[in-house]
Parts: sequence; C-alpha cells; structure tokens
Amino acid sequence: MNQAQAMKKAPTSAPARRRGKAASLDRKKARAGWLFILPFVLVFFLVYVPIIFDSINYSFHTIYLLSGGGFELDPVGWQNYYDALFVDAHFVMTLTSGIQQLILEVPAIVVFSLFMAVLLNQKMVGRTVFRAIFFIPVILSTGLIDSIDLNNAFTEYSQSGVDSGNAIQGSDSIMSAMDLQNLFAGMKVGHELLEYVVDIVNNVYGIVNRSGVQMLIFLAGLQSISPAIYESCTIDGATAWETFWKITFPMISPMILVNSIYTVIDSFTASSNKVMSYVSAVYSGATEGSDVLATAMYWIYFTIVILIIAAVAGLLSAYVFYQRRD
Amino acid sequence: MNAELEKPRLKKKKDFDVQFQDRTPFWQRFRARFLTFTFLKKVLWAIFRYVLLVGISYVILYPFIAKIAGSFMSREDFLDVTVRLIPRYPTLDTYKAIITENKYFLALWNTTVLSFLCAVVQMLTTMIIGYGFAKFKFKGNTFLFYCVIFTMVVPHQALRLALFQKFRYFDIYGIFNLLTGKTLNLINTYWPLALLSIGGLAFKNGLYIFLMRQFFRGVPDELEEAAYVDGSGVFKTFVRIIVPLSMPMMATVFLFAFSWQWTDNFYSTMFFTRSGSYLMPNILTIPSSLDVTGFQAADVYSSAILNTAALMIILPLLIVYVFGQKFLVQGIERSGIVG
Repeated sequence: MNQAQAMKKAPTSAPARRRGKAASLDRKKARAGWLFILPFVLVFFLVYVPIIFDSINYSFHTIYLLSGGGFELDPVGWQNYYDALFVDAHFVMTLTSGIQQLILEVPAIVVFSLFMAVLLNQKMVGRTVFRAIFFIPVILSTGLIDSIDLNNAFTEYSQSGVDSGNAIQGSDSIMSAMDLQNLFAGMKVGHELLEYVVDIVNNVYGIVNRSGVQMLIFLAGLQSISPAIYESCTIDGATAWETFWKITFPMISPMILVNSIYTVIDSFTASSNKVMSYVSAVYSGATEGSDVLATAMYWIYFTIVILIIAAVAGLLSAYVFYQRRD
Repeated sequence: MNAELEKPRLKKKKDFDVQFQDRTPFWQRFRARFLTFTFLKKVLWAIFRYVLLVGISYVILYPFIAKIAGSFMSREDFLDVTVRLIPRYPTLDTYKAIITENKYFLALWNTTVLSFLCAVVQMLTTMIIGYGFAKFKFKGNTFLFYCVIFTMVVPHQALRLALFQKFRYFDIYGIFNLLTGKTLNLINTYWPLALLSIGGLAFKNGLYIFLMRQFFRGVPDELEEAAYVDGSGVFKTFVRIIVPLSMPMMATVFLFAFSWQWTDNFYSTMFFTRSGSYLMPNILTIPSSLDVTGFQAADVYSSAILNTAALMIILPLLIVYVFGQKFLVQGIERSGIVG
C-alpha cells in the first residue's frame, strides 16, 4: 500500500527535489556506485593485475625454486617464445589444428544452439522436460566430468556393437562417411564441405555439450521478442519460414554476436581444447623451465584468440540489428 | 453419414443449449480440419521435432546411462564380450570401494562446504558489483566494466603459474614483506578462493557480473527513485527493493557458481595440494581393492571405475539441478540480455 503510493508520487516529486540539490545528489550517487564496485576494484588492482603482470613477466624468465623457500628469476629474454615456436616439435602443429578446429566449431555451435532454442521455444507437450535435459550439460559437463569424458574408454566400449566376427566398420561413430558421401554425391558440394559435415555429425556430443549456455541466451532473446510482431506477420500472410528470416533472425542478431564471442572464449578456455590440454601437459612436464615455457605458449595462444575475437566482433557487428526501444 | 447427420438434430430438440451448434456435417468438418495441407505440415513438423529432440536428448543422456550401467558391472562382466550395457553379475563393489577406500563422504562434505560458501559469496558479490555497474554513473564506469570483460577473456590456465606463485608467496605490493620480513603462504587454505570470490574474480565470475548487470539494467529506475523519495538510502533501497526482485537471477548465478565450483578441478588441485583439504578430484583414483594391473580388460575396467566415481560426484549436483532448473530459464529470461 505504502509502496504503491510512493510509486505514484515519484514522477511528480522527484524533479522538484532534484532541482534543489542536483549536484550533491549526483555526487552522492556516484560515491555509492564506487562503494558497490569497491570489492572488484580492490581485488582487481591489488591481486589480479599483479598476477597478470607476473604471468607475462615469468614468460620472459626462468624460475628456480630455492631450497630455503622463495624463488629466483633469471631473465632470458624471448627465449621461451622462441622455444615454443621453433624448438618444441608439436606446439605449432597443435596450435594451427586447434585454431582450425575452433574456427570450424564456433559456427556449428552457434547455429545448432539457435536452432535448438527456436525448437525449445515452441509450445509442445513435454517442453519443460526437454529443456531440463538440454541444460544438463551446462551444469554437469564441466571441469572434472569433462576431463573424464574426454577419453572415455568405457562409453566407447559400451557403444560399440557386440563383436560377432563380421566387423562393423565405423560403428562407433554415429554416421559413417560413406552414408553421407552417398547422400551428397549428386549435390556437387565439394569434398571440404562433406568432411566438415561428417566431422560435425561425429562430434555431435561435443557440440551439444558446449551449447547449453548459448541456448539459454538465445531462449532469453527469443522470449523478449514481442508476440505482436509475429501476429501482424501472420495477418499479412507470411509463412513460418519468412517470419523466421524477416523477424526472428534480425531481432536475435545481437544475441548471435554475444554468443559467437562467448563460444570462442568458452571453447578456447575449455580444458578439452586440444591446445589447452597440450600446453597443460607441457606445464606439468618434468624438465626444468617447462612451466615458464607453458606460460609463454598460453600467451601466444591468447594473443591469437584475441585477434580472432576482434575479427568476429568486427565482422558480425556490421550486420547486427538493434531495435530502438524508446 | 446419414446417421451422423441425424444425431445432432435429435439432440437439438431435447437440449435447448445446443441451438447454435455447428450444422456442418461431421465428415465435412473433419475434412476441413484434418485433411488439409497445413495440418499435414503441422503433423510432419511435430513428428520431426520430437524425433530430433528425443534423439539429441539421447545423445546427452547416453553417457549417464552408460555410467550407471557400468557402475554395477562386476569384473567378470568386462571379460564377457556379450555384455555391453546390462551387467550379467550386478554388484555394488565399485560403490563400496569408492566410499570406503576413496573416502567419498569426506570429499563430499568438504566439497559441499567449499562450493556452498563460494557460491554464496560469489552470488552476493557479483550482484553488488553488477548493481554498481548497472545503476550508477561515475567516472571510470565504462573502463572498469571493460576490465570485467577482460577478466572473462583471459584464460585462467594462462595465469596458472602466476596464481600459484602469488598465493604461495602472498604479498600486496611488498607491504607484508616490509612489515614482517616474509611473505604469506596461502596454499592449502581457503584464502585464495575466498579472496578471488570476494573480488568477483573467481572462475567465470565475469559472466555472472555481466548477467547481473544486464538484469539490473532492465529494472526501471522509477522503482528506486520512489524509494529515495520515501527517504530510504541507497543501500536500504538495494536490500529492501532490489534484492527481493532479483531472486530468479540470484538463483541462476548460484546454480552456476555452485555446480562449476563443484566440478572444478583447476583451482582445487592448484590451491589444495596433497596435504590440504580432501576434495572431489581426490576420489578419482582406482581403489586398491579393485586392482586392475594385469587384468585383461584393465583399460575398460579402470575407465568404468572412474566413471562410477564421476557418477557419484555429480549425483548431489543432479539433486540441486532438479530443484534449481526452473530458475535457470526464468532468471535468464528476465535478464533481458537483448541490446
């Protein structure tokens, strides 16, 4: 009751009050704002920034642990970066194939999650159950579980058919390349596209697993589109297909940008990532200086990914449609 | 057909209410409704949709089904080539061994406490920080928000060495060293995680701050202005008006923070060495009573044991998820991430 009255009064009384001591109120609010973000600012500048600085610094040094506690840094210049790029036999290869994988998978994940979000947004029986199932990977397939499922001998074993003598070729993958080849034979789409599709189909578990958050974000976006727009579309005689491309797609394009960037970040920091797992293997390697070498590798990889993110953001933001909501 | 024509008429005489009933014959109504192209398309689409959804649900659920099946298998089942999913000699040995030898309940208790505290602290701090970014204009707001985005982009793995060194030889710009002459060792304490959580800098906290900020931007300013006019201060308004409003978002962030901390193996293995707190990653070893060396199917068997351990790790999470999942969509729905 009291609150409702206050809300009604607000528009009339607020300007009058503000005119009197506008400057002090603004300053007060600014101070309150600083107080709110104070924890972040403090820890960021006191702990986090030094950590980043240290991390970059270490990559130009070798670390010796001293027996009495403490450690010593020995500057080596660009040696670690040189070692990572030109001495280590596998790093550059892993890096290129990892980035290739990243570039191929990001569109697949974004398109898949958009498609699934559109499906899960439709009214149907059992929608809540399907939604609950589809978001299970968001909660469960992370960290530990992810690392177990990465090389899971048991699930592969249970999935492969019974060994009855007549060999079942490629039965562990969902679809064999031959089936798809037959399907695509008459289409003249080229070998690369075929391989791409086969890769995605065989990797469907990985893609489904990593598109949970994206699906959530798309769902939120879909639900914020006003039903009135769809209604007027239907009255004008647009088909579902046209409605999707003319209404849903432009309205959801900011989400596509957000999701593309999120997917790049998420999949390059995931521990299941090829490069990440290689570098962490290097990190825990036994040789002296492997930790600083790994740090240098991380920074090389990070720089490349930042460039990719900038490219994706720059490319997509040209096509993003923002609705004016005034 | 005639009979169907008669029926409504007979009824109509008796029942006054059916006066305005449709006079179109049943067959015509049936044809107009069900034997059209639109209806066919709708049915086909529904079938396609269900096939697709069920298929992908299967892909998602399969690893869990396999894990459950494998957890009941005994040694003999792994040698039997005809056994793939349904064990012939079901046993609870794997569970027993993990509970007793890997000290499951100790890990469960420690992890529950750690995850719960982390999730609560992270939820509160990211909410406060997100509110600060969303509702107050001050110099440096945009710049600091870019800093948040930056923490999201930098992979924690890249900072691994520096993080460890920082908390092993903890110091803030050399102040401790000046005062006491030595640095602090925070490894194997809860301090590193607590510090990172308080600052909103722990695992994926950038994402939470982002979500919270988007959520609060959708809350109309008039609400707070009304409270200010009524004489409530900034903080009272926050506690009394904003916090109750943002329950779904808080639940979402809590769910994320709790479960991601629960399954985390990066921080918990880095900040807690062998002598430290006994957490979930520690139970991922082969119990000695289920010795697999020299066993013919050692590869698959040890993998199945690890899968059982994984199953036991996620079991409590599943319970949390069942209760929390409805907030997941709700919270993000209301965040109005658009624009």
